Amino acid sequence: MKGTGAFRERLVEAWVEIRENLGRSSLQAIGVVLGVASVLGGFSISDSQRRRSDERWTKLGGMDRLVVQQATAVKDGTPTALEAANLGLRGDDREEAEFLDARAIEGATQEKVARGRVRSPYADQDRQVRGIDGDYLPLNGYSIESGRSFSAQERAEGRPVALLGAEARATFFPTGEVIGQTIRVGDIPVVVVGTLEEKVFRWRESDPNWFAWRNRVILLPSVLVARRMNGDRWNRVERVSFRIRDLSVMKTFGEGLETLLRGNHRQQGDFRIDDVAARVRRQQDQGQIYNLIFMLSGVLSLLGGGLVNVNIQMAALKDRVREVGVKMAIGASGGEVFKGFMTEALVLTGLGSLVGLLGGVAFSWAITSLLRIPLFLQPMSFAWALLLAGAFGFVFALYPAWKASRLSPMEALRYE
Amino acid sequence: MTTDRPIIQTRGLTKVFGSNGTAVHALRGIDLTVQRGEFVALMGPSGSGKSTLMAIVGCLDSPTSGTYDLDGVPVQGLSGAALARVRNEKLGFVFQTYNLLPRASIARNVELPLLYAGIGRKERRQRALELLEQVGIVEKANALPAQLSGGQRQRVAIARALANRPALLLADEPTGALDSKTGEEVLGLFKELHRRGNSVVLVTHDPHIASFAERRVELRDGLVVEPDAQAA
Repeated sequence: MKGTGAFRERLVEAWVEIRENLGRSSLQAIGVVLGVASVLGGFSISDSQRRRSDERWTKLGGMDRLVVQQATAVKDGTPTALEAANLGLRGDDREEAEFLDARAIEGATQEKVARGRVRSPYADQDRQVRGIDGDYLPLNGYSIESGRSFSAQERAEGRPVALLGAEARATFFPTGEVIGQTIRVGDIPVVVVGTLEEKVFRWRESDPNWFAWRNRVILLPSVLVARRMNGDRWNRVERVSFRIRDLSVMKTFGEGLETLLRGNHRQQGDFRIDDVAARVRRQQDQGQIYNLIFMLSGVLSLLGGGLVNVNIQMAALKDRVREVGVKMAIGASGGEVFKGFMTEALVLTGLGSLVGLLGGVAFSWAITSLLRIPLFLQPMSFAWALLLAGAFGFVFALYPAWKASRLSPMEALRYE
Repeated sequence: MTTDRPIIQTRGLTKVFGSNGTAVHALRGIDLTVQRGEFVALMGPSGSGKSTLMAIVGCLDSPTSGTYDLDGVPVQGLSGAALARVRNEKLGFVFQTYNLLPRASIARNVELPLLYAGIGRKERRQRALELLEQVGIVEKANALPAQLSGGQRQRVAIARALANRPALLLADEPTGALDSKTGEEVLGLFKELHRRGNSVVLVTHDPHIASFAERRVELRDGLVVEPDAQAA
């Protein structure tokens, strides 16, 4: 047949056949519905979890970071002379690392921690203060709410200025203007130049704020902390972080960094390099296993449904042998009969898929509501579910359609 | 296309069902010629081979041996798709039990052969309505076959058979399921179609029905038994 609306006719015929045999058609579609719902639901739940995890990492400063921290070199027993003589993580480590591959690094910072009494007209508490420099704020997902960040001069000269996290601001200045006010950190009067936006993250809506501790920060220039609170002549620091421009060079840079640090630290592993992206990838790889399991369960549903479908279609074909015979007698070729049966099976697969998609959305909505995380539906999940259903629907429709197309018109007409 | 070319010409047609010990010889060598525009009744008792011959003439089945030319074209050895095209373009079938598609409207039933012939939707519908008009049932175009009487259904079947202006109308006991009055009306319709120039082959075991035809060919045990009834 030429382009004469034959496809439309086949669609109409398929629709009539499905409508007139609703019970049989529903049974045929169940496998598709379950398979699609399983694949879409599984993927969406997994995606929702992953997205939540990504949000968390973004709020922590992003995944494209390498963080170097102090670690205990002495596992047990008495430290060796080398271990005892080691100086730990230093500002020099960071500076040398920046020369490893300057183009790869988008930002860097180091942190120097001290503890002391922090006083304001409203509160007097024992607190940890954090000396920072460089790109600390973006590298840790902070942004300024009011006032400003430290100037380059303030950082370089170690001026007595401070940034307060949301909780620290509420504690030390519960009312009134905070910018320009003075707090005392130990004996040092420090002027508050800015406050940080509140950091909030709840995995579930009912969870307490996972980032409450990040709102407690009191940030000072690291030079100030090193010189006047907790400094030493080796410029030791607690933490060094780098933001890497391109994730593809993360591994190479990390290896170079490890070699450099081992050299600087007398081959002692008294530091720990945390490749955030690799950690996230590992978690995501675990997530992929769940995805595979969901896909497998979907595939099994489709496979089982497909086999049931073949049986039902073969049984239904017996009721329709005469109809096939009539069509052949009036001029339908085997190919036309084949296309008719295929269209019917694929329309049924399409309808089953639509119901399955609705079921999948409802299923994932129910589960994510139970977990109290926002539902995230990705177009790829829909595409996968439809692709699998389409592929299985097509393959399992082939045999009954082929059998119908191979009927002898004479025998089909005589079939009782 | 010449007018003197026979519409059906068979030579030594045989049809054997089964094999060896269980072989049934349904046709034992049929030589039959039907001229264009003829109205022929194919007669014979049950088991005489008339339905088998009709199936072969209708390109629904193939002979075991012998040759068959339909409208001057040999059809033996044609592929399934080619035979389907021949059935669609050159033949129109009318069955005893109408064989309408139960879930399709009357108009759609008539449109089907036109659809397989690749005719566009608008033209199909127009032609179907014209044909239903011809058989006097156009007002039922949107009804389903179950809503029609036997006679009306057979009229629809005739309209469907005429859809592609076939070279030959084949009717297998077309009045077998109808009461005598309706049967007469249907036969009258065949006569009218013949009068308009259609070639008609009617299979029946009833001499009264056969009397409507202009020529009778009788089969017995797979052979034509009245050679003088053949025109060739």
